[in-house]
Amino acid sequence: MATTRRVTVALAATVILALTGCAQSNGATSSSSASTTPAAVASAPLPAPFNTDKAVEIALVRQSGAGDYFEGWGAGAAAQAKAANIHLTISDARNDNAKQASDLEQAIANKPDAIIVDHGLTDTLQPLITKAVAAGIPIAVYDLALTDATGVVTTSQSDESMATGVLDQLIKDVGDGAKVGYVSATGYAALDRRAVIWKQYVTEHKLDQVFSTGKVTESTATDNIPLVDAALKQNPDVQAIFAPYDEITKGVVQAVTQNNLQGKVKVYGIDISNADLDVILADKSPWVATSATDPAAVGAGVVRSIALKLAGQLYKDDVQFPAVTITQDFLTSKSIKTITDLRNAEPALSLDDIAVADWLPAVS
Amino acid sequence: MSSPSTLISARRGERVSAFVVKWGFIAVTVALILYFVITLPNFRTVDNVFGMLKFVAPTAIAGLGVALAMTVGGIDLSVGASAGFAVSVAAWTMVIGNQVGGVAVIVVLIGGLAIGGLNALLVVVARVPDLLATLTTMFVIVGLKLLIVDGKSISSNMSLADGTTAPGKFTADFLALDRGSVGPIPIPVIILAALTLLMWVLLERTRWGRALFAVGANVEAARLAGIRVQLYRTLAYMGCGLLASIAGLLLAARIGQGDVSAGNSLLLDAMAVALVGVSVLGIGRPNAWGTLLGAVLIAVMTTGFTMAGLPYYAQDFGKGIVLLVAMLFSFTLSRKRTVLTAGSTSAS
Repeated sequence: MATTRRVTVALAATVILALTGCAQSNGATSSSSASTTPAAVASAPLPAPFNTDKAVEIALVRQSGAGDYFEGWGAGAAAQAKAANIHLTISDARNDNAKQASDLEQAIANKPDAIIVDHGLTDTLQPLITKAVAAGIPIAVYDLALTDATGVVTTSQSDESMATGVLDQLIKDVGDGAKVGYVSATGYAALDRRAVIWKQYVTEHKLDQVFSTGKVTESTATDNIPLVDAALKQNPDVQAIFAPYDEITKGVVQAVTQNNLQGKVKVYGIDISNADLDVILADKSPWVATSATDPAAVGAGVVRSIALKLAGQLYKDDVQFPAVTITQDFLTSKSIKTITDLRNAEPALSLDDIAVADWLPAVS
Repeated sequence: MSSPSTLISARRGERVSAFVVKWGFIAVTVALILYFVITLPNFRTVDNVFGMLKFVAPTAIAGLGVALAMTVGGIDLSVGASAGFAVSVAAWTMVIGNQVGGVAVIVVLIGGLAIGGLNALLVVVARVPDLLATLTTMFVIVGLKLLIVDGKSISSNMSLADGTTAPGKFTADFLALDRGSVGPIPIPVIILAALTLLMWVLLERTRWGRALFAVGANVEAARLAGIRVQLYRTLAYMGCGLLASIAGLLLAARIGQGDVSAGNSLLLDAMAVALVGVSVLGIGRPNAWGTLLGAVLIAVMTTGFTMAGLPYYAQDFGKGIVLLVAMLFSFTLSRKRTVLTAGSTSAS
């Protein structure tokens, strides 16, 4: 009996292995056939090297693909690639920076037509990016600071434009010399770049910064509430708070509300999502303005940048995706409830004038 | 009681299952490699072969450490944390301490031995069950690491709390630990080959190896046979700590900064390759070449699946299935008693 059972398990094990073998070969075929779908909306034929039967091979090396922002970004990049006869091979290091280094190294060894690197650590990736340039592989990076960007297409969502847009609104609302609070964290590239702009505004507009607090954790929104709560109890006369990251902004809004300071304190944030829209549009919400890009449009824009480079039509190797400032008044006046409504009402979010060509319109 | 014909078919069944146990796993690996070689032109290049081995070297080395802890019937859940600790300590020594790469290597290795010593202290002296002891160690050293570096990733030329710039940087010779190569062979691959060979000699060709396995099989019998049981268990944990810190050195050189999240993903992969090692060839106990094969399989699957365009979540499923099959081979099918035990008591 024991032997029979053993043989049965052996058979079952073999069948399972055979099945996994099948699953993986199916995956391989479907992914290569998906890339041959022609572009639908272009008003001009594809130029070389996109005009052949064989799809252009681009490796996308990502630090992480998880979370609303990165999922949207990846979807936009994939849609744009499909429209331009590009076959994207995507590796996702899931925030394991050593793995991202290996992924990039292997991408270089595979000699694709081009490489896109999405986020990552400078010290880890710079030597490999230099190696890719030396190997003659066109390469674009997104939101990755380089010490030597020679021959690299650098793209980023403009943190400067994000901070500037929303801070201009802050000054317009409360004026020079106002009492302000600042809630953010250090050590995150994007937040650090926004902090530089904040300091400029504090100095130039003689703002009176009465508190500065904040942190980024696994549950940022919740963990910032007690910090801001304490700061507000100490400084109830603050007029405006700048919280340049939507998870933090949500915590600040909560703290302001539970201290019954709506109407007295205005909150200025950065980023947008459906969840954020709900918070901004809630009754008497103190969150009056935010600044954002559409991650899907940004992902698509990065793919267009490297595509133009391959076609020899990219004339400036630094591409910035500007942000749009969105006020609470704008949202209510246009009765915008979702990101889809917002995309329709604010065409600038689609980035359809950045890195485009007749043969390469922005995907919508 | 049984008729002659059922006896014969039972024996044939035994032979079939013995054959599957012995060669099934190797066959799966070879089949996967062949499939990728045929379908993916970029897979069969020399660059890619060394690239894959280099990629998996830290995992394989940490896996050798886990295998070593398993020989004495133990387990070490702190290998990923030890490697992460090594990354931060190496960065701190060079960037803040302004020391050369060689000093950083020595400090890291001493740190690895100390972590192994802590595990041994908890398991051997304090008699905490090994699963709980090494889990505790994991939390302690992750916390200690964050304390040392103020929760920050230490990078060359970083600005310090007092506004000045850090005095040191990652030195070129340290970075070469991962980024350098001898001819076409990357240095991590050489280190991995050397450590695998060393582990094989230790476990299979010396009386120390036999003593380690004796302790793992039956502590009481080993003690009665005159083996210094506590000493061997201590040495196994310290060896594991040392190997985990070597894996950390490679990660540090690969990342080039004291990334505080480094090593997070190492534990499960290291555990998986050590377990595959136990099952390969129906050996039924931890061993060096099996662990290496497990690591190669992980590298082949990760690279092949990525090249074939499979998303990472499907890759995890594939890895899970392969591991499941490995476990069936080793625990359910094997005629030999598998020496791996849960907790410090021998279950075989």
